[in-house]
Amino acid sequence: MSPVDWYLTLATGLFCIGAYGVLARRNVLLIVMSLELMLNAVNIALAAFANFMPHAGARGTFFVLFIITLAAAEVTVGLAIVVANYRNRRSVQADEFSELKG
Amino acid sequence: MPHGDFHPVLFVIMAVWVLVCGLGVVAFRNVVHSAMSMVLCFLGVAAAYVLLNAGLLAIIQILVYVGAISVVVLFAIMMTDQRETKLGFFFNRQAIFAAPLAVAAAVVITVILVTSKMAPNGSQSHNVSLAGIASGLFNGYVFPFELVSFVLLAAMIGAIVLARKEDQP
Repeated sequence: MSPVDWYLTLATGLFCIGAYGVLARRNVLLIVMSLELMLNAVNIALAAFANFMPHAGARGTFFVLFIITLAAAEVTVGLAIVVANYRNRRSVQADEFSELKG
Repeated sequence: MPHGDFHPVLFVIMAVWVLVCGLGVVAFRNVVHSAMSMVLCFLGVAAAYVLLNAGLLAIIQILVYVGAISVVVLFAIMMTDQRETKLGFFFNRQAIFAAPLAVAAAVVITVILVTSKMAPNGSQSHNVSLAGIASGLFNGYVFPFELVSFVLLAAMIGAIVLARKEDQP
């Protein structure tokens, strides 16, 4: 295995830990945190590609910078929704938000 | 320390650190413990950026994730009542399906990545200077740069509108 494979394996492991958190946990805050783990895993993979691939230049760094910015925007809006929802429902458990259930 | 090479020992320390702290995020029953584990995991990812020869990304990771996003998450935990959520068990009904799915996805993606020939000569690193990043960001990528600043502004306004109390103008 080349070094980029080791970094991609690490990124895959972290991504699947985050995916498990999104799928299994019921607390909305924990789901948001697991989403952040998944985004970090993707960032590790992009940084590994940027470092080890020839002719990559700085493109991987640009992708990571934009993903970090969009993750900051996403977590801000997501947690604002969680807080606004908590103000109405007094709960942060995802399976109690069932108004739209048919 | 030779610049930009692959260090197996440092990589293993960093990888174990990141994965253990990541497992802590999904495994702790207390949400505050999960958030603290998430902060440590973000620090490990910053170490990964340092090992990947991307010091700028490591600094931005610490500033944005360890500094800002962690504080926002802790504020959200503080503003919501977490007393009853300590009973959210690690192995609930969803986890029975989610754990094999996540493990299977990890195995499949790892096998695909390792057996594919994406990195034929990917052993030596290719250093990108800070000046190269800056000139690329403000020349070829200036439109996504401005677009992402607009997205940040929209997210800021959206968060204020969403989290504002309804009865106060």
